[in-house]
Amino acid sequence: MSEPQLVPLNAIFATDFVQILVPVTTANTMAEVAAAVAHHVEGKRVRALPYDKVVIYQGERLPADMTVAAAGIKPLDHVTVEYDIPEAS
Amino acid sequence: MALLKREEWQGFVRDVDWSYSYVDDEAVYPEWHSGTGKVPRQAWQAWEESYKVSYPEYVATQREKEAAVYAVKAALQRSSAFDSLSEGWKSATKMHFGGVALVEYAAVLAELKMARFGLNGSWRNMATFGQLDELRHAAVTTFFGHEFIGKDAQYDWTQKTFHTNDWVAISLRNLFDAMMTSANVVDIAIELPLTFETGFTNLQFVALAADALASGDVNFANMISSIQTDEARHSQQGGPTLEILVEHDPVRAQWVVDKAFWGSARAFAALTGPAMDYYTPLEHRKQSYREFMEEWIIDQFVHTLEQYGLKKPWYWDEFLRGLDIWHHGLHMGLWFWRPTIWWRPMAAVSKDERAWLTEKYPNWEQVFGDKWDVIIDNVNSNNMEATLPETLPWLCSTCHLPACNATQSRNGTWRVRDVQLEYDGRIYHFCTNGCRQIFWKDRDNVNHETVIDRFLAGQIQPMDVGGILGYMGLTPDVMGDDPDYEAWTRDYAGRVAARPGAAS
Repeated sequence: MSEPQLVPLNAIFATDFVQILVPVTTANTMAEVAAAVAHHVEGKRVRALPYDKVVIYQGERLPADMTVAAAGIKPLDHVTVEYDIPEAS
Repeated sequence: MALLKREEWQGFVRDVDWSYSYVDDEAVYPEWHSGTGKVPRQAWQAWEESYKVSYPEYVATQREKEAAVYAVKAALQRSSAFDSLSEGWKSATKMHFGGVALVEYAAVLAELKMARFGLNGSWRNMATFGQLDELRHAAVTTFFGHEFIGKDAQYDWTQKTFHTNDWVAISLRNLFDAMMTSANVVDIAIELPLTFETGFTNLQFVALAADALASGDVNFANMISSIQTDEARHSQQGGPTLEILVEHDPVRAQWVVDKAFWGSARAFAALTGPAMDYYTPLEHRKQSYREFMEEWIIDQFVHTLEQYGLKKPWYWDEFLRGLDIWHHGLHMGLWFWRPTIWWRPMAAVSKDERAWLTEKYPNWEQVFGDKWDVIIDNVNSNNMEATLPETLPWLCSTCHLPACNATQSRNGTWRVRDVQLEYDGRIYHFCTNGCRQIFWKDRDNVNHETVIDRFLAGQIQPMDVGGILGYMGLTPDVMGDDPDYEAWTRDYAGRVAARPGAAS
């Protein structure tokens, strides 16, 4: 298996005010990508919420255990990370 | 022998458009500098400035202006006026000195290019005065900023900024190289004197002068007011140029005006917006940035467009919506990435200041208040680490400013959205649709690389915050920091952190 490759991303975390640069690797899972993006914003500019986070890529919600390589996410791609807030019943 | 009246001789002394016998016209006025394009060469014979000036008159007037500016400076040098200025206002002046001094020098080059390659003798004559104006502006701005270096090392960036790879400097170089250095003279005359100097410099030089006086900075107000009197004259080069271009190539005329207006609007949102709505002390603010834009820029720009038979730019609605968003987002970006700038940005979000912001911008609290609340609570709990950056903001591939422009969804929520395009095998990201469109139409231009591009290409080493700050030329003695955290956090001290989504 080849070494993980660096994948620099353009990312927006939830209601944050700015797009940011977040480096991940091809081996990272979506849970790890979400955490990497949140690290720069959550509790710093956006108040933390008690929900899981989900990566949205090209309009699709990606499973937490899917890797960057499996999702086909390339360097300079954009991802949005959102809180996975349950629909109000 | 009686002297001729001015109107009897001025016409023919300016008429230096003689016919060449040893070279052809293209050799003297090559297209890549003169840029006549679809406009027939002889059409430029109709170019005429509305306000004429002779060299003796010019020298006499400029001498008086210079004497007045330096007299005020000399008088104030012996006073303690500088020491009584607020840190916020000082930041506005540091931003101005660093952001403007060498742009004035770039404008010397632009005027010289028009003085050489302008397509009419009257135009070249006017540009000759214009370059003398800009030389004066570069000198006076550099000299005034230089005076304060002994008191505050950040003023050293008056002259230094444009020689660094600071992201603000790169953004401004990118804008002004396109507008002044690399453009042909027809485009320069429309972008610089017409769009930029007739409109936007009013904002920085007239409106900011009012804030300067209110803040007690007579010297600065005097300096920029003196500069503005020159703009009013040499900015006339735009009108006659646009008139001829509109007649022969209205599509190009519209594009050049649209592009220059957009680029200027983005830059002023970053520089003038925070200075007016945050750095100027609340009690000294004359009008909000939006109000100044409406009064000084928009009305005049729309009038100019109508006067020359042009349409409002395609991005007009996006631009108007941005008046409530752009500079607030950029202010937050400048503050959060404060180690990367050469001034001390005041956050300026105390309760009174927020009430003023909400009065002027009814959506402010909804779009920005929650983010500032998190920052405030971190400051108040002494968690300063959480208020400092560990990565770069994404910089727009057109304006090089952070991509931080929230837009409203149909359901009323505000989100920053990615605006991108793929070109030549790579993805580019933009702060707005306007910046994306300009990039696309100008895609074959050679643009500066953003700091993000440089970082990812490995040009910045080591690839961490320290490496980035070093690359930008920031040293610990000049790195920006908030001058007074308590001033805007004390109102909220001791509160329980607001629940997410709860109304404050």
